[in-house]
Amino acid sequence: MRGRPLLYTSYEADQALLNTTTKRVMLGLFLLVLVTIPFQLIPGIKFMGQEDWLRLLTTTAIFVIGAFGLNILTGLAGQVSLGHAFFMAIGAYTAVWLGGPEGGPLIGLGLPIWIWLPAAGLVAALIGVAVGPTAVRVRGLYLAIVTLGLVFIGEYVWRNWNSLTGGAQVGRDFPPLQFRWWKEDPPVFDATTPSTWFGVEVSAIAKSFFVMTLLAVLFSLLAKNLQRTRVGRAFMSIRDRDIAAEIMGVNEFAYKLLAFGISSFYAGIAGALLASFVTRVIPERWDLALSVQFIAIVLIGGVGTVTGAVLGTGFVVLLPRVVQNFTLWLQATAVEGKGVLSAIADVFVATTPDDFGLVNTFAGVGPGLSVAQLNLVLYGLLIIGFLIFEPLGLYGIWLRIRNYWKGWPFTY
Amino acid sequence: MTSGVLVLAQETLVPNEFAQMLVDGISFGAIYALLAMGFVIIFKATSVLNFAHGALTGLGAFLVAAFTTVLVFPGRYLTFLPEWAQWTASVLTALVVAALFGVLLERIFLRPMVGEALFAVAIVTLGIDIVVRTITNDWIGTQPRPLGAPWGLDGVDLRWVRISWSEIIQIIVTVVLLVLIMVFFRTRTGIAMRATAFDQETARAQGINVGRVFSMAWAIGAFLAGVAGLFYSIYPRRATGVDQSTAFIAFRAFPAVIIGGLDSILGAVVGGFAVGVAEAAANTYLQFEALGSGFPGIVGYLLMMIVLLIRPYGLYGTPEVRRV
Amino acid sequence: MRSKSKWLAILLVLGLVLAACGGGDTGDTTTTAAAEEEPTTTAAPSEGTTTTAAPGGDVATDVGVDLDAGTITVGLLSDLSGPFAPLVQVIVAGHEMYWADVNANGGINGLQVQLQTRDTAYVVDTHVQLYEELKGQVVAFGHSTGSPQTVAINPSLQADGILAIPLTWYSGWSDPAINANLVPHGVPYCIESMNMIEYLTLQNPEATTIAIASSPGDYGEDSNAGARLAAEALGLEIVYDGTGLINAADEATLAEVAGGIAGSAADLVWITTSPTPFGSIYGQALAAGFTGAIWSGAGPTWNPALVGPDSPIKDALAQNFFISQYYAPWAADSPGNQAVRDLVTAAGADPLDYYAEGVIEAKILHQALLAAYEAGDMTQAGVLAAAKSLESVTFDGLAPDETYVGEPNDRVQRQQFISRPDPAGLAGGTSTGATLIESNYTSPIAEAFEFTEACFALS
Repeated sequence: MRGRPLLYTSYEADQALLNTTTKRVMLGLFLLVLVTIPFQLIPGIKFMGQEDWLRLLTTTAIFVIGAFGLNILTGLAGQVSLGHAFFMAIGAYTAVWLGGPEGGPLIGLGLPIWIWLPAAGLVAALIGVAVGPTAVRVRGLYLAIVTLGLVFIGEYVWRNWNSLTGGAQVGRDFPPLQFRWWKEDPPVFDATTPSTWFGVEVSAIAKSFFVMTLLAVLFSLLAKNLQRTRVGRAFMSIRDRDIAAEIMGVNEFAYKLLAFGISSFYAGIAGALLASFVTRVIPERWDLALSVQFIAIVLIGGVGTVTGAVLGTGFVVLLPRVVQNFTLWLQATAVEGKGVLSAIADVFVATTPDDFGLVNTFAGVGPGLSVAQLNLVLYGLLIIGFLIFEPLGLYGIWLRIRNYWKGWPFTY
Repeated sequence: MTSGVLVLAQETLVPNEFAQMLVDGISFGAIYALLAMGFVIIFKATSVLNFAHGALTGLGAFLVAAFTTVLVFPGRYLTFLPEWAQWTASVLTALVVAALFGVLLERIFLRPMVGEALFAVAIVTLGIDIVVRTITNDWIGTQPRPLGAPWGLDGVDLRWVRISWSEIIQIIVTVVLLVLIMVFFRTRTGIAMRATAFDQETARAQGINVGRVFSMAWAIGAFLAGVAGLFYSIYPRRATGVDQSTAFIAFRAFPAVIIGGLDSILGAVVGGFAVGVAEAAANTYLQFEALGSGFPGIVGYLLMMIVLLIRPYGLYGTPEVRRV
Repeated sequence: MRSKSKWLAILLVLGLVLAACGGGDTGDTTTTAAAEEEPTTTAAPSEGTTTTAAPGGDVATDVGVDLDAGTITVGLLSDLSGPFAPLVQVIVAGHEMYWADVNANGGINGLQVQLQTRDTAYVVDTHVQLYEELKGQVVAFGHSTGSPQTVAINPSLQADGILAIPLTWYSGWSDPAINANLVPHGVPYCIESMNMIEYLTLQNPEATTIAIASSPGDYGEDSNAGARLAAEALGLEIVYDGTGLINAADEATLAEVAGGIAGSAADLVWITTSPTPFGSIYGQALAAGFTGAIWSGAGPTWNPALVGPDSPIKDALAQNFFISQYYAPWAADSPGNQAVRDLVTAAGADPLDYYAEGVIEAKILHQALLAAYEAGDMTQAGVLAAAKSLESVTFDGLAPDETYVGEPNDRVQRQQFISRPDPAGLAGGTSTGATLIESNYTSPIAEAFEFTEACFALS
C-alpha cells in the first residue's frame, strides 16, 4: 500500500499517533536535530548550542509541557483558564516542600526527584479538581475571571507563607535536577554538573536540556494520545456543544473536572521543573503575566493541536530574545552611519539626545522608546497581528503551507 | 532643632470606626465602579472582554496630568475663570482626548476582529494592553506626574467621620455619570447600542450603524477609565500622581464586574461599591497577624467566588441561554 | 482574505528578518556608548597610551576586552520594564553618559568602553538567562538589579570568576559568605536605618516612641532589622511595626499602614518603601491629623516628585521629613556633583539625582579596569581580582570613599548623606528638591555596630 497516501486499511492505522510516513519522518528528523543542538553540529543553528540559547530552549521545553496542559483544558475541553500560573505555583511549592533541604529554616523533607516531581503534578491535579466545582458552575468569560482570581489569591498566599515560599521578594532555592535513590545517596544523575558521555563532553545546561526535552516529548505523546481516546472525544464534544454532549451521555460535570485535573497536572509538573531549573524563584513569579503567556502560546500556536502548542511556545518564549537582537542590530547599524541600511535604521533609532527616532539609545533621556520598551511594543504588536491576520495561529500557517505543497504544482 | 523642624502638638482624631470604614470603602468603590462601568459598556456593545482597560486607565490619568499641569490647556486661556474651573476645563479636554484614543484603538485593532472567537478578541486586547501601557509609560517617564487637583488634601472633618473633598467629588461624579449613562441608554443612540449588544447582525439589518456604536462604546469606556485613573492618581489614593504602575488598578476591578454581572451597568456600580466596602471592612476589622499582608486586596476575588457559587452570572447578569 | 494574506506575507518577512538577526554573530549586537562621537575604529589605541606598554603587548585578556579593536565590553543587567524601570532607566543613562565621556577623552588607556545593556524586567529567570547571554561577551557587570536576582546569579558569577556590582543596598553584599564576586557601594539598608534613626532623635531629643513600616523582602526586612537595633540602643519604644506590610500594588495595605502609623501617635517614623506608596501613606496619615512626628525613609523611598509644585504634601514634607541618601544630591557643592551636572547637561537631559548612581557604579568599574590594566591582566578574573584589591575608590564628594580590602567590619560602608526637602529649589530649578545638610554622616550607633554578616539572611 506504499505510495497511496491517506489510504488506511484499518482503524488502528487511521487513528495512529502518527498516521502518515511524512509525519513519522519529520518527527524523527526534528528529534535528531534537537539532540545535536548542544554539540553545534548543524550549520545555521550552531548558535543554539551556546549556553544562553540552550537555556532558552530548555525553558521552551518546560513551557511546552505547561502549554499542553492549557491546551487540553482550553483547546480540547473548551474551558478558558487564566489560572495556569496558580497551578504551576502549586506544583513548584509541592516540589520544594518534598524536595527542599531537610532541617533548614524553611519547610523541606529532602526527598528525591522521583517523589517530588510526580507529586508536584498530582497535588496540582487534586487542587484543580477541588476548585473545579466552582469553575464548572460558571462558563465562558466568567470562568476566565474566576481563574484570574485564583492567580491573585495564590499570589497573596505565596507572598505571606514565608516558611514555605521564602517570602515576598526573597523567595527560596528549589531542589536541583538530580536523580538519587534516597535522601542522602550520591546522585545517579546530576544535571547541575558537566560530565562525559561516551567520550563527549556534556555541559550541565546541555544535560538539563536533554532531560527537559525528553520530558516534553513524553508529555506530548501523552497529550496527543489523549485526543484519540474516549476521554479526549468527550472533551471535544463538551467544547463543541455542551448540552448536546450531555444528551449523548457525556457526564459534563465529571469530564470538566477531569479536564481541570489533567490540565493542572501538566501545569504542576511544568511549575516544578521551571522552579528547579531556575533554582531561585520569588513568589511574584507566579503572576498573571505568566498565565497570559500561556494563553498567548495556545492562541498563537493554534488551539487544540499539539503541534500548535509546540510552535506557539517556541514563538512566545523565543520572541523577546529575537526582538531584542533585532533592536540591538538596528541600533548598531544606525550608529555605524554607513550605507542605505544605516539610513533606514536611523529613521527608527535616535542616536543622540536630540535626534529623532522611534527608539532612543540613550535610556531614559530624550524622546522615543527605549530599546526595552520597543521590545515590549513589538511583542504586543506581534500578538495582535497574529490574531488579526491568522486566527488559526501558527498551526494555521503550517496547514496552509502543507496544503500548498500537497497540491503543487497544481494550485488553483 | 538645628534644622528648623516644626514639631506640632500631637492631635490624632479617633473617628467612628464603622462610619470611617464606610466612607473609605465607598470612595474607593467609586473608582472600581467607574472602571467596571466602562468595562461593561464595552463588553455589552462590542462583546469584547477588554483586558486593555488598565492601559486606558493609565493613559487617561497621564493625559489628565499632561493637560492640567504640563500643557495647562485650555486652562491657560481661561484665566478669567476661577482656578477650579480652569482645572476642570483641562480635565475635560484630556478626557475627550482619552476617548478619542479609545475610538482609535477600536478602529485599528478590534474592527478587523469582528466575528472572531470571543477569546481571540480578548487576547488581542491583552496585546493592546502591552503596547498602550508601554508607550504611556514612556510618556509618563521616570517621575510620577501630579494631576494638580485644586483641593489638595483638604476635606471635611465631622469629628465622627473624616472625608476629603477628593472622596466627596469622586462619589458625586460616579453617581452623576451612572445617571447620565442610564439616561443615555434611553436615547436613540443608546437604544441603537442596546440593539447592537443584543444581536449585531440584526441591528445592522435594521439600519443601525454598528461601526458607530462600537466607536461610541469605546469612547465612553475610555472616558470612564480616564475618570477612574484621575481619581486613583490623586490624594488620598496616590498623592504623587500617575506613574508607571497606575495601569494595574484595573485588575482589582474585575471582581466588581463579575459580581454585578458582565453585562449590567447597574451591576457594575453595585459590584464596585460592594468590593470597595468589603475591602475597607477587611482592612478595618480583620487585623490578624496570621492574615499577613495584603488580605484586603483579595477580598474582592473571594467575594466574587461566593457570589458566583450562588448566582453564576453575577447579581444582575443575563443568564446565557443554552441551546443545542 | 486577500488583504489579510498580504499582511500575513509582510509579517512572515518580518519574522524571517527577525530570525536572521537571531542567528547573527555577537559582533553585530555590540553597541558603543560613545553615541555622539566618531566610530570607535578611528580612536587608535596607540594614540591614547604613552606610559604603559602598547595594548596587546603584555596585557592578558579573555572575554570582553579586544585589544585589536580597542574595546572593552561591560554588561548591565537592568530592570528596564519591571517595577524599578523608572529608576533604572536613569541609572543606565548615567552609565552611558559617563562612559561616553571617558571614551571621548581617550578611553581606558586607549580602549573604548562599550555597554551591553539587557532588560531583565526584574524576573529572576530572565535575569539568569541574560547573564548567560552576556557572560561570554563582557569583562564584568556594571550592575545587577535586584537582590533575589543577584543571589540567583551569584553561584554562576563565582563559578565563572566574573565581577558584578549589585544595584541594591542589601547588607549581605558585604557579607564574606556571599560577596566573593560582588563589590557593593553605599551604606547598607540596616546601617542606614541606624544612622537615620539616631539622627532623628537628635532633632527631637524628647522622642520616646517610633513607628516603623516597610515593603517586604530584603529591602524592608534588612532596613527594619537595623531600625530595631537602633530603637533598642536609643531606648525608643516601637509603637507600630509594619515590617513587610506595604504592597505598592495594593492600596488597602497603604491605608492599613497609614492608619497604623497615625493611630500609634509615634514621635518618629521610619519607613522603607518606594515613593508612590510613601506619598499615599504620608498623605493619609497627615489627613488623619498625624502631624506631630518627624519622618524619614530609606534612600529609595524618596523622589523629588513628592515635593513637586503640584504635590499636595510638599509643604508638610518640607517641615518634617529628612531625606536619607547614598550619595550627595544633584545641587551639592562638590567636584563630583559638578562632574555629574556637566555630564547630564551635556547630554541635554533634565536634572535628576539618579544619574549619580550610574556614575558611581561606572567609577568603581573604571578604577577596577585601570587597576587590571596596570596589573597586565584584563581577563574576567583579572578585573575581579583588581576590584577586590582596590583600597580606596573616591568619588570627589559625590559619595563616600569605598574600600574592598580588609575585614567585613572594616570595609562595610557606614557613611551617608542627609538632606532636607526643598520644594522652592525644585520649583525654581536650582535643585532637585533636596538641600544637603549632612555629608559623610555616621551615627555613633552605626559606628559601634560590629558587622560580621548580613542583618537579614536572604537564603
